[in-house]
Amino acid sequence: MEALALIQAYTGVGIGLIIGLGAAGACIGIGIMCASFLEGAARQPEMIPALQGKVFLLLGLIDASFIIGVGLAMMFAFANPLLSVVAK
Amino acid sequence: MQPPTSDLNHVVAQRQMYRNMLQYQLLASLTVALVACWLGSHEAAFSALLGGCAVIIGAWIATKIVARGHRLQQPTAVLLNLLKAELIKIIVIAVVLLAVFKLYLALVPFALIAGLAAAALFSGAALAKSDVNI
Repeated sequence: MEALALIQAYTGVGIGLIIGLGAAGACIGIGIMCASFLEGAARQPEMIPALQGKVFLLLGLIDASFIIGVGLAMMFAFANPLLSVVAK
Repeated sequence: MQPPTSDLNHVVAQRQMYRNMLQYQLLASLTVALVACWLGSHEAAFSALLGGCAVIIGAWIATKIVARGHRLQQPTAVLLNLLKAELIKIIVIAVVLLAVFKLYLALVPFALIAGLAAAALFSGAALAKSDVNI
């Protein structure tokens, strides 16, 4: 019983870290990338079409890492595979 | 009142881009579902599809919100609209995943995560491949 509570408590901390650090990392990454894009666009407007595709690609990749983190966190919250070890 | 032609072109281009993105996401999750069916079971395939659907539904709702605010001119309003769309997208994905985890008892979690990851990763790829400049 104590082990179960311990696993649930640590899983809760882990879920918070996954979502919190994931969100912070994604926000910082998107902020840096968009700032650089705007700076580049202001300096060389003719480069906008070339840069735009890369910005969207990176935007999707950065966003995807956070969404995957949310998915993993939801898995640990509602279908925790670690709890089955104690149940045996 | 008829909107200006450039405005109409902008909306059409945006819609085409989003449709392209949703098609790519759907294709990616279907591919993962097929692989899951081949390697695992029908439950794994259905789980992968559900994972992809969570992202697709979230992205679709977010695109609707972004498209609704295409007339916004103020930078703050545009950014707030984008932020609202992103927030709602994350909430929708979390709610759909919560429903899937609670309601689908034969769920294969790793297949679900694989489907979700494929759909999420392909959204950026689809936008980058688009020829449309907005």
